[in-house]
This record gives sequence, C-alpha cells and structure tokens, in this order.
Amino acid sequence: MRIVVVLVSLAMVAGIVAVAVPAVASAQPGSPGSPGRPIPEQLAQLRPQVAPTPPPPADRDKQEGTGGWMAALFWVVALGSVGGSIFVITRRNLIAAVMGMVATFFAVAAVYMMLYASFLAVIQVLVYAGAIMVLFVFVVMILNKPEDEPWGLVGIPGKILAGLAMLYLMFRLTQTLWGVKPPDQALAAPRPVPVVVGVTQDPETGQRRLDTERRDWGSTAAVGTNLFDDYLFPFEAVSILLLVGVVGGGAIARPLKDDESGESDPEVTA
Amino acid sequence: MTGLLLDIGYGHFLVLAAVLFAIGVGGVLLRRNALIVMMSIELMLNAANMTIVTFARMHGDLGGHSLALIVIAVAAAEVAVGLAIVVAVFRGRRHVDIDRLNTLRY
Repeated sequence: MRIVVVLVSLAMVAGIVAVAVPAVASAQPGSPGSPGRPIPEQLAQLRPQVAPTPPPPADRDKQEGTGGWMAALFWVVALGSVGGSIFVITRRNLIAAVMGMVATFFAVAAVYMMLYASFLAVIQVLVYAGAIMVLFVFVVMILNKPEDEPWGLVGIPGKILAGLAMLYLMFRLTQTLWGVKPPDQALAAPRPVPVVVGVTQDPETGQRRLDTERRDWGSTAAVGTNLFDDYLFPFEAVSILLLVGVVGGGAIARPLKDDESGESDPEVTA
Repeated sequence: MTGLLLDIGYGHFLVLAAVLFAIGVGGVLLRRNALIVMMSIELMLNAANMTIVTFARMHGDLGGHSLALIVIAVAAAEVAVGLAIVVAVFRGRRHVDIDRLNTLRY
C-alpha cells in the first residue's frame, strides 16, 4: 500500500520536474514586465514622486559582503539547517525533533539575513522559532506518548524506495536551481528603496502628496510599503484566513461533550 | 573546487533550499507520526520561502518578501488547524499513527 503511494508520488515529482525544467530553460531573461493596471488620476498624484536612484557603487557586495568569512558563515548555516532537518526526520523522541526544527529555523533566519531580508529574518525567529514551535511543544506535551515505531513504510524495500525518491527529487531540484542565471548587477548590494513616511497637503492647491524617504532594501519600512501598496488584497485575505484558522482550530480541538459521545475520555478532556 | 567553497552565489542558497525541501519530502514519506509529518511540511514551506527570498534578492524585487510573509502567515494558520486536528484525533483514538488513520470517520 505504502509502496503504491511512494510510486505515485515519485511519478508526480518526475512529472512536475519534467514540466518545470523546460519552462525554466525557455524563460526569456530580461523580458519587460507588464506595466500593470492603469492608475486613476487621483491615485497617480498620490504616487510617490521619487528622485532618480543614485548609481550603485560598483560591486560593493563583493568587497563588503562575500569572501572568506561570508563563505564560512554560509557553510556553518547550511550545515546547521541540513543537520537540524535530518535530526527532525530521524529522531524517535518528539521533543528532540522539535529542537532540531528550532535549529533549522534559526539557520533559515540567518540565511535571510545573508540575503538582506532583515525583516523576514526577525519574523522567522518570532513566528516560527517562537510561536509555531511553542505550539508544537504544547501538543507534544498533550499527547505525551512515545512513538510506537519511528519509521513508516513497512519493510526495507519501502524505506529504500522512499529514500531513492527523496534523493532523486534532491538531484533534480539541484540540477534545475543550479542552472538559474542571475541577472546582471545581481551581486551588488541592493540599493535603498523609497518608502512612504507620510502625507503632506499642499496649502494652496489642496493636493495631497506622499512623502518618501530612502530606506534599506528588505527593512521593515521597505517591506511594509511594498506590502500595503502592491499586495494589500492578499494581506487582507490572509487576515481573514487567520481568523478562520483561529476559530476553526478552537472548534476542532474543543473536547467532545460526554452526552454526545461515549468515546470521550474524561482523563484526556479534563 | 575552492571557488565553489568560497564564492557563495545564489546557486548555493537555491541548492540549500532544494536539499531542505527534499529532506522534508523524505520526512513525509518515511515517518508515521502525524506530528513529525507536520514538521516536515513546515520544513518544505521554509525551503520554498528561502527560494522566494533568494529570487527576490536576485531580481531586487521586494514583492518576494511580501509573498514570503504571506506564506509564513498561511503556514501559521495551517499549523493551528492541523495541530487541532491531531489533538482531536488523539482524543478519539489514542494514537496519531498515520498508517492506522486510514478512515475518515471513527
């Protein structure tokens, strides 16, 4: 039964990769993006008026960022994340697995910092290593029952098949992603981007205008300006999703009433 | 070889994300405990996020950061509902072994 599942998933992965590889290979680099939706006249006046960007210092990142220490940091972080994630899928003890997960999340946060995504790194630590892992620890404590059998897939052949599927997926993903060519100037440190810091009204004409400043790429202000400008609707949709998640989680995890079901265990529901 | 070790480019980050994703897939395939399976799913979401952030840096597009933030929020909602389901299943059946959870009703 499990072997069938593995075979089906293997076939699906192969199909996805087969579709994805030509798509990546044939993607035209540097094709001009669509101009986006037309902006109404009033909104266009509200759009930030930004001075032309100063030319970036040539290859600043090469001088400041990468090099021996950056490489050492990357390999430490890569070892930590891969080791932590292997820890997660091999440990019999659930708390040990959760701790491996926390190590992985911190390593991923470090990777975000190396990619100039400082806001996301902080969010990663707060939300994943903080909130989500605490939730996992709570559920592990509620269950409070060691695992019967650490491995699924009855028998050695199933394990070997799943391992092969995993290695094949790793190989194809690596092959695909290693071939991605970054655009020119991608190695230079990102320039500061304009962010909205306020609204001023012209006392004579009454027109309102957004005040902008330049802040670091990937900082909270920059991500916030992008999120509330271009991605406002997904943001609002996510707020509804979180509301549904909270209500649904509470409703599902609520103890069953004793008069409705004889299966409810007072020891567990208490 | 020394260049591969010392010149950290975008390929390194992308391959790291690919390895993490594959390990997550292995966890889903190999483990039977529902909690470990959920953690492996989190691992895969993280790997996908890392890819998004790398591409955002590569193209200098902050939209990738907004997308990653939204993925994190969706993952949080998924964990809340998923763990509630795990707790509810454990109440009824006293185990969370996904090989034995092969019916929709109990």
